[in-house]
Amino acid sequence: MPRRKLSEYRAKTLVNKAIGEDYVGWSILDLDDIKKVDGYKSYVVKVDQAVKGRFKKGLVLLNVEHKDLKTSAKQLMNEGYSSLLIEPYVEHVDQSERYFALNHGRGGYTIAYSRNGGVNVEQNADSIEYFAIDDGFDWENLATITNIETDKLQALVKLFKENHFASLEINPYVADRRSLNILDVAVEIDDAGQYFTRLWNESDIRSPRKLSESEEQIHVLNDNSPASFSLSVLNPNGSIFLLLSGGGASIVIADEVYNQGLGDELANYGEYSGNPNTEETYIYTNELIKLIVDSKAPNKILFIGGAVANFTDIAKTFAGIIHALDDQAAVLKKQHLKVYVRRGGPNQEIGLAKIKQALEGHGILGGVYAPDVSISDALGFALKGLKDEEK
Amino acid sequence: MIDIKILRDNANVVILGSHAEVIQSMLDYDFLAGKSKPSIVAIIASGRKQERYFWGETEVTIRVFANLELVPEVIKNGITAALNVQSARRILSSTMQAVELLPNLQVVDIFAEQTPESHSLELIKLAATKNVLIVGPASVGVLIPGFLKLGAIGGTRHPQISSADILEMGDTAVVSTSGGMVNELIHTVTGVGFGISFAMALGGDRFPITTPAQALQLAEADKHTKRIVYFGELGGSDEYEIAQLIDEGKITKELIVYIAGTVAELFEEPPQFGHAKALAQTKDESATAKKDALRKAGAIVANTFADVHKELAKRVIEKRVVREPKIGARKHSMIVSHISGEIDENVVLLGKDLMETVENNSIASLVLSLLLGEQVESKKAISFVDFVFKLLVDHGPYVSGALNTIVSARAGKDLVSSLTAGLMTIGPRFGGAINGAATEWVQAVKDGVSPQEFVEAFAKRGGIIPGIGHKKYTIDMPDPRVKALKTFAKNTNGDRYLQFALGVEAITTTKKTNLILNVDGTIAAVLLDILESEFNYDQQQLLELSEIEFFNALFVLSRSIGFTAHYLDQRRHDEGLLRLSPDDVRYIE
Repeated sequence: MPRRKLSEYRAKTLVNKAIGEDYVGWSILDLDDIKKVDGYKSYVVKVDQAVKGRFKKGLVLLNVEHKDLKTSAKQLMNEGYSSLLIEPYVEHVDQSERYFALNHGRGGYTIAYSRNGGVNVEQNADSIEYFAIDDGFDWENLATITNIETDKLQALVKLFKENHFASLEINPYVADRRSLNILDVAVEIDDAGQYFTRLWNESDIRSPRKLSESEEQIHVLNDNSPASFSLSVLNPNGSIFLLLSGGGASIVIADEVYNQGLGDELANYGEYSGNPNTEETYIYTNELIKLIVDSKAPNKILFIGGAVANFTDIAKTFAGIIHALDDQAAVLKKQHLKVYVRRGGPNQEIGLAKIKQALEGHGILGGVYAPDVSISDALGFALKGLKDEEK
Repeated sequence: MIDIKILRDNANVVILGSHAEVIQSMLDYDFLAGKSKPSIVAIIASGRKQERYFWGETEVTIRVFANLELVPEVIKNGITAALNVQSARRILSSTMQAVELLPNLQVVDIFAEQTPESHSLELIKLAATKNVLIVGPASVGVLIPGFLKLGAIGGTRHPQISSADILEMGDTAVVSTSGGMVNELIHTVTGVGFGISFAMALGGDRFPITTPAQALQLAEADKHTKRIVYFGELGGSDEYEIAQLIDEGKITKELIVYIAGTVAELFEEPPQFGHAKALAQTKDESATAKKDALRKAGAIVANTFADVHKELAKRVIEKRVVREPKIGARKHSMIVSHISGEIDENVVLLGKDLMETVENNSIASLVLSLLLGEQVESKKAISFVDFVFKLLVDHGPYVSGALNTIVSARAGKDLVSSLTAGLMTIGPRFGGAINGAATEWVQAVKDGVSPQEFVEAFAKRGGIIPGIGHKKYTIDMPDPRVKALKTFAKNTNGDRYLQFALGVEAITTTKKTNLILNVDGTIAAVLLDILESEFNYDQQQLLELSEIEFFNALFVLSRSIGFTAHYLDQRRHDEGLLRLSPDDVRYIE
C-alpha cells in the first residue's frame, strides 16, 4: 500500500541504464550467488535492505578480497540480513560530491540539487536548490548547474514518471563536463503501481529490517488478499496485544496506550481492514496468539478493537477470530490473559454476542463493549484490568 | 469549488462498477430518509442490463450499462454524483471518463485502495481544471443526511442505518482521513445529541485528491454547518494548511480536531501504520507538531479520543429527537416481468386489465406491444406489423422448417413436437435474415460507413450480406412483396435505414442482377425506420433489439401459423411415415 524501498542493486541498475552509463554490481540473496562475482581485485560487501545508517551499524564491509567474499557475506547474513550487494571497491577520493533528488507532489515534479552532496547533505539543507518542472522548463540551465546533460535529466524524469517511482535520490554523484559517476542511489517506489511497470516487481522491494516469522506470515497474507493486513512486533515481551481493524482506529487505540504511559508494554501494532473473510481473520489471530504465548510478561491483555465499521462484517470477521481462540483455548488459559473487545458495524449484535460467549467459556473474558462505550473507555477498562492483575 | 447545496437539491448518482452491498445500502438510505425514488439512476457494469434491489420491502430494478457512453443523454445530463467502485487499476481511466462525459457532475467518490500515487496526482489536476469534487482514493464515501449517501459510509445494513441518526440534517460536519473513524465520529457526534450536516471520508492515501483543507472550506461555506469535527493523522502537511486558513480567517467555524499518531514517538524507525500517508518522515509531520500548530491557530485539539466526546457534549443545549423508521422483512422474487402479472387476482397486461387490453387492441397491435414491452399507439407501426405478419405466414412446404414439421407429422408426432421440429430450423440459414439484416443496417449507419465500404468489407471477408439476394427476382423483375413493403417507408418521417439498404442494393446488383434487397432486408430496414421515427429508439436501443432477436420474433410467430397449418393438413390427409427411397440418396463408398 505505501511507498517502499527498491533494492540498491535494482535502483542503480535502472538509473544507470536510463542515462546510458554502465553499472557493475551483484545482488546476493544466497551464498551461491557469490560464484558470479568476478573481475576485480577488491570489493565492497554491504547489506542491501532499507536500513538507515549502514556505515555506523557496520553493515558495509570495504576493500574485501575475492577469497574473503564468502566470509564477509556470511558475517552479514548471520546478523539476520537476507539481501546483500557486492560492488567493485573504488578508493574514496576527496572530490566534489553532488546531490540530486526527484520527487512528485500536488504541484508536479520537483528536482532538488546541492553542490554539497554526500552523507551530510541534510546538514547542508540551506545549500539545496529546488526546481519545479513546469511547461517551458529551462533544461539547459539545470544541465549547466548540475553538470548532468539535458537528455540524461529528461531520461531520469521519464524513468520516474513511467515506472511509479515515489522518490529518487542520487547522492552523491561526481560530474564534470566529460563524465558522470553515480556513487549511490536510493529509490522509493509506489507499490500500488506494480501492475503498470515491468522494470521492477515485488522481488526488488526491500523491508527496512528482517521480518519476524509472524510478520512474514502476515505479509504473505496481505499479498494474497483483497483485504489488507499489517503486523509489526514492537516488544516481544510486551503485555498489551492489539488485534485491531481499520487504519485510523488502530492508531487511535495505539495512541491511547502510549498516552497513558504504557507504550513500552505494547507488544505489537497492526490492523486488518477491507472486510477480510473468516479464514483470513483466523490466520491473523493465530499469529497473534503465537506472539502472546511467546511473550514472557507475567500478565497479558489482548484488545480486539475498532471503530464502528462501514462495511466490514463484524459477525464474519469475528467468526475467524473466535475459531482461532477456540483452537488455542487450553494454551491461552495458562497465559494469565484477559481479552477485551470493542467494536461496531454491520452485524455487530451477532459478532459481539458470539465472542463474549466464547471468551466466557474459555475463562479469558475481560469485557465486550458495543459502540455505546467509546474506544477510550473500553481501552481504559482493559488497561485498568491489566494493572489490577499486576497488583 | 463546488457547493454541498447542489447535492442537497439534486442528487442523481451513477455507480461506476457494481458493488451490490453498497448499492443496496444507498437505496435503503434513500428509502429510510423518505425520498420518493432511489438516487441511483444507472450502474456501469458488464454482463447484464439491470440489477434488482430492494426499495423498502419491495423490489426495483436499476438500469445497467456496459459503458458510460451507452447511457441515454437525458439520464447522463441529470447525473450529479458518481461512486467509483472499480478496481484501483481502472480508477484513473474510469474517473476521467466520468468527468468528461457527465456535464453536470459535481462529486466523484473513489472507493478502491491501492490507486497509484501518480494517478491520484493526475486526478488532482483534473478536479481543479474541471471544478469537480473528487473524494478519495480509499474513501468510504460522502454522506449528506436526508439527501445522499454516496458509498458505504454510515453502514451497509439497514438496521444500522435506521438507528444511526443520519437520516435528518444536522449542524455538525465530520471530515476524516480514515473511513472507520468517520463512522466512529458520526456515532460520537450523534451520540451526544447533535446531527450531521455532512460527513466525508478523504482516504488515507499520500495524495488525497480532496485535501482536508479543501473539505473544511466546504464546511465553512455550507450554511447548515455550525461546527466541524476533523480527524487527521501523522504524515503530510495538510494540518498546517488548515492552521493557515484559520489564521487568515478563512475558517471561522468552531473546529474540534483529533490527530492520531503520537504513538509513533515510541520508535526510532516507526512502523508503517494502516494508511499510506501515516508515516512521519520529518518532525513537522509528527502528530504532536501538527496538534501544536492547530492549537496555536485556535482549533480545539483533543488529546485523547474521549476528549472529542467531552468537547462536543459540552456544547449540546438540547439533544435532538429523531425518528427511527424501519424496513421490515423482505425477500427477492424469483423473476421480474415487465409484461404481465396479477394484481388483486386480475390478469394485467402491460399495466392494463386483460379485458380492457383485449377490447382495445388488434392482434397486430397486441403482438407489437408485447414484443416491445410497452403499449404501442402508432397506427403506422401497427399496420406495418399486420402486413408483415401476413406476408411471412407461409412460403410453401419446400422450406426446411415446413418440411421438418411435415416429416414429424407424418411420423405420428403430436402438434407441439411437429411445430417445434419446424421452429428448430430457424436460424442463420433459414428465416434468420431479418434479424441479421437489422444488425448490419444499424451498425453500418451508426458507424457512418458508406454502402460502398460496407459491401467491400463483406466481399473481403467472403460473407453473404443478410437481406440481399433472391433466387428468382432480379433488378429487372422486382419482387412485388418488396414493392409493397416499401410503401410503408414512404409514409415515415425518415427512412435512412431503407436508403442505406437501397444504396447497398445499387452496388450489389451491378455485380449480379439477382442480388436485390429482398423481403427480409426490406422488413428490417423499414421496421428500423419506423422504430426510430415513431418510437424515438436510439441506435443503441435498436442494436439491443437485434441482440435479443426482436426482429426474429416476428418471423417465428408468423411462420408458426404456417407450420401449424402444415401439421393439421398432414394429419387430416394422413399418408403414413415418410421415408426416402434409395433413389433419393446417393450413397458414396
